[in-house]
Amino acid sequence: MHALIIDDSRAMRMILRRIVTDLGFSCSEAGNGEEALAQIAIGPRPDICLIDWNMPVMDGYTFVTRVRSEADLRDITLMMVTTESEHGQIVRALAAGAHEYVIKPFTPDAIVEKLTLLGLVRDGVPA
Amino acid sequence: MSLTYDEPQLADVLALAEEVWRSFVGDDEPLLPAEPDPGIVAYAATVTIAGAWNGAVTLEFGDGTAEAVSARMLGSGSMTEADVADAVGELVNMVGGNVKSLMPGPSALSLPVVSAGRVAHSNDTTEICRCDLRWAGLPMAVSVHAHRRQDGHQS
Repeated sequence: MHALIIDDSRAMRMILRRIVTDLGFSCSEAGNGEEALAQIAIGPRPDICLIDWNMPVMDGYTFVTRVRSEADLRDITLMMVTTESEHGQIVRALAAGAHEYVIKPFTPDAIVEKLTLLGLVRDGVPA
Repeated sequence: MSLTYDEPQLADVLALAEEVWRSFVGDDEPLLPAEPDPGIVAYAATVTIAGAWNGAVTLEFGDGTAEAVSARMLGSGSMTEADVADAVGELVNMVGGNVKSLMPGPSALSLPVVSAGRVAHSNDTTEICRCDLRWAGLPMAVSVHAHRRQDGHQS
């Protein structure tokens, strides 16, 4: 199971990487949506993307719409991990095709819980 | 003509900062309210909010505070200045994003800007909320600035 963490903050990427690798995921990172699309094109193909909203170059919302517009990428699970907590933005992201939405700050348990709800983790390990 | 401000409550801003600290810096050293520190501001990190409410949220770090906070956040003792700027930028991003959620929306959050020394706020803003703090005995502060309105109405 492979996770792609998309966040312009190296600190946040490191924190999320720690959480998902502790669960047993392999992991790669991108600093914005455009970098993430380039990484997906060359592989490895992620099972899940953890996506910040506010990033330079290409934001997380645009990334979600771009992934969802590609038929062959529709099996990738998309989870927003962001400080953006306005109701309208959450609805917009979910309508665009994000599967889950985590608001920063979060605890490691909150990430594990969401991954479990998405069926990507079972009994604390990748499903 | 009167000038008005929408004001996030100090207790709410402090609670948000405490939650961010607990989640990402650790809960063994709480943020504690403190007297203003007369020393230098070594780093300041700020995000602006623009839309139905306009303002800025700023974290100021005294000498050594940003480095210590970043080291705890990243679990690493050796960091570059860029690492410190990135870490404190993410902290203000989280505090600012949650302050935004308390205010009238919709609005947009900027990317964080981190500076060495005190941040300069524009003339059309005023500090509406400030809490001087200590973390692990080190000085820091969180503040909120709002743009002045001249229409006499709250957003």
